[in-house]
Amino acid sequence: MSRHSIQLLDAKQKITQFTFHEVYQKFISLGHKIWVKIACFFNKFSIPGKAGLIGLSLIFLIALLAPWIAGHSPRVSSGPPLIPPAWPHILGTDELGVDLWAQICYGARVSLLVGISTALLAGLVGGAVGIISGYIGGWVDKIIMRLVDIMIVLPDLPVMIVLAAFFGPSLVNIILVLALFSWVSPARIVRSQVLMLKEQNYIKAAEIYGASPWYLLWKHFLPELLPILVVNMIRLTGRAIVAEASLSFLGLGDPTSRSWGLIIHHATSFKGIYYTDFWKWWLFYPWLFLMLMVVSLAFISRDLERIADPRLGKK
Amino acid sequence: MKGIKGGRLGEYLLTILIVVTLNFMLPRAMPGDPFLFLSGEEAGDIVVSYSEEQRQLYLEFYGLNKPVLSQYFAYLSELCRGNLGFSLYYNAPVSSIILNRLGWTVFLVLAAVFFSTLIGAALGSISAWHREKWVDKTLYALMITISEIPAFLLGLILLFGLAAGLKLFPLSGAITHFADYQHLWSKILDILHHSILPITALTIARLGGMYLLSRNSMTTVLAKDYIRTAQAKGLLKKRIIYRHALKNALLPIVTRVFLSIGGLVGGAILVENVFAYPGLGLLMRQSVMYHDYPLIQGIFLVVTILVLLANFTSDLVYKKLDPRVGQLEVAQK
Repeated sequence: MSRHSIQLLDAKQKITQFTFHEVYQKFISLGHKIWVKIACFFNKFSIPGKAGLIGLSLIFLIALLAPWIAGHSPRVSSGPPLIPPAWPHILGTDELGVDLWAQICYGARVSLLVGISTALLAGLVGGAVGIISGYIGGWVDKIIMRLVDIMIVLPDLPVMIVLAAFFGPSLVNIILVLALFSWVSPARIVRSQVLMLKEQNYIKAAEIYGASPWYLLWKHFLPELLPILVVNMIRLTGRAIVAEASLSFLGLGDPTSRSWGLIIHHATSFKGIYYTDFWKWWLFYPWLFLMLMVVSLAFISRDLERIADPRLGKK
Repeated sequence: MKGIKGGRLGEYLLTILIVVTLNFMLPRAMPGDPFLFLSGEEAGDIVVSYSEEQRQLYLEFYGLNKPVLSQYFAYLSELCRGNLGFSLYYNAPVSSIILNRLGWTVFLVLAAVFFSTLIGAALGSISAWHREKWVDKTLYALMITISEIPAFLLGLILLFGLAAGLKLFPLSGAITHFADYQHLWSKILDILHHSILPITALTIARLGGMYLLSRNSMTTVLAKDYIRTAQAKGLLKKRIIYRHALKNALLPIVTRVFLSIGGLVGGAILVENVFAYPGLGLLMRQSVMYHDYPLIQGIFLVVTILVLLANFTSDLVYKKLDPRVGQLEVAQK
C-alpha cells in the first residue's frame, strides 16, 4: 500500500467518524426534540387525562406484547378449570381451564382492533359525507341531513342486536354494524365546519383565483378539519369498544374472537356463578380491564376536545 | 316550506316506515332458504327434505309465492292489525309475549328516568350555586367519571359487590319464584327489593348527563339580573334556588327527560341481562339464543317505535314549554 492511499484511508476514516458522530448527535437531539414534544403534549392534559394516557398505553402494550407476556394459550386449556389466581395462572382460569390473563392479553387486541377500525371507517366515511354535504349543498345536503336525522332518532342498540342476529356474528360484521351507527357524528361536525370555512374570505379569494375543489380540499379544508375529526374518532373508538363489549356480553360477538365482552358473557352464562367464588376472578378481571379502557378513553377524548378547540374551554 | 311541526311528524313517520321495511327485508336478505332454515341446522342436523307439493303448500301458506311488493303490503296490513307473527320457540303470538314482558322494562326505564332527573337536577343546582368551590369541583369530577361508564358495567359491579358479595339483594329475577305472599304489600316489597339494583345501575349511568345539563342550565339562570335582585332583597338561598332559578332552569332538563328514554332503553336491555330481569331485553337475548326470528323482529319493532314516540314527545313538549321556540319559527318564516 502506498503512502498516498493510506492518507486517503485516514481521511476517509476521519470523515466517516465525523459523520457518524454527527449523525449520533443529530439522532440524540432529534430524540430529545421528540421527547420534549411528547412531554409538552402530555403536559397539556389534565390529571385525569394523564391517567387515561397511561392506562391506554398500558393496554396498548399488553395488546402488542401479548404473545410474549401471556405465558399460556388463550384458546387451549392449560391447567385445571376454575382455579383462583395463583402462579402460573396469575388471574386464574375459566371453566375449561383456559388461562384468564392470556385471554385478557389477546382480548385487548380484539377490543382495540374493533374500536380503531370502526372509528377509522366511520371517520373516513362520515368525514367524506360531511364534506360533500357541506361543500355541495343543495338537494344532496338535504337528503344527507334527512338521513342523519333518521339515524339520530333510531335507538342504536336494538338495531345493532337485530343486524348482528340476522347477519351472523363475525368481527367484520360487527365492525360494519358499529360503523353504520358511528358515521353520523363526524359527518355533522365536518359539515358544520365546512359550512363555516366556506364563508371565510381566504377560501373565497382562492376560489376567485380559480382554485379547483380538489386544491381547496387538500390545501385549506383538510388541515382545518383533520384535528377535529381525529378528536371525534377517538371518542368513536371508545363508543365502539363499549358497543362491541355490549354485543359480546349479549352473546352476539364473534365466538372465535375471545374479546373481553365474550369472557364476561361466558362467565355470566355459567350456571350459578354467583353462588360460588368464581366471579371473583373470572368476571372481575375482564370487567376491570374494560373499565380501565373505557374510562381512559373517555378522559383522553375529553381533554383532546378541550385542546383541539380552545373556544370550548373559554365558554 | 312545510311547518316545522308537520316536517318533524313526517320525519318520524318516515323513520318508522324505514324501520318496518328493514324488519320486512331482513329475513329475506338473510342467506339461505326458509325451508332449509326452519328444518335443517337448528333441529339437530336432521335435514328434512320436503317434497315439491309440501314446498308449494308452505309457500302458499306463508304467501311466499306472491310478488315481493304484495308480500310487503300484506305484512304492513298485518302489522296494523297488531299481528307481529308467531314465535317459533314459545309457540305463542309474538304480540302477547311482548305485552307480558313490556311492563317490567317500562317500569325500570321510568323509575330510572325519575330518579336520575331528580338527583341530577338537585346535584346540578347545588353545584351551580357553589360554582368553582370544592363542592362543585368534587361533584363535577365525580359525575364526569360516572357519566362515561356504561350501565351494564355498573350493573355488574353492583351485582357482584352488593348481591353476590354482601348478599344484600337478590341475584336475579323480578320477583321471588313460588313465593306465598300473605299480603299485597309483601309482594310489592319483594318486587321493589328485586328492582333496586337494576334501577340504581340505570340511574347512575344517566345521572352524569342530567347533572351536567342542570349545572349548565342553572349557571346560566343564576347569572341573570332577577336572581341578583332576589339576592339583594335578602331572600333565603333555598327560595332563590327552588322558586326563582330552578323553575327557569327546568326547561332543558324536561326536554332531556324524554330524550333520555331513548338512550335508557339500550341501557335497560343490557342491564336486564345482567340481573336476569324478565323484561324485553332479557327476552331479546333469549330469542337471539333460540334463533326465534319472528320474536326478535317483534321486540325490535316495539322497542324502536316506543323510543321514537318518546323522542317525538320530547319535541312536542319542548315547543309547548318554551314559547320562544314557536315565536322564533314564526319569525324565521
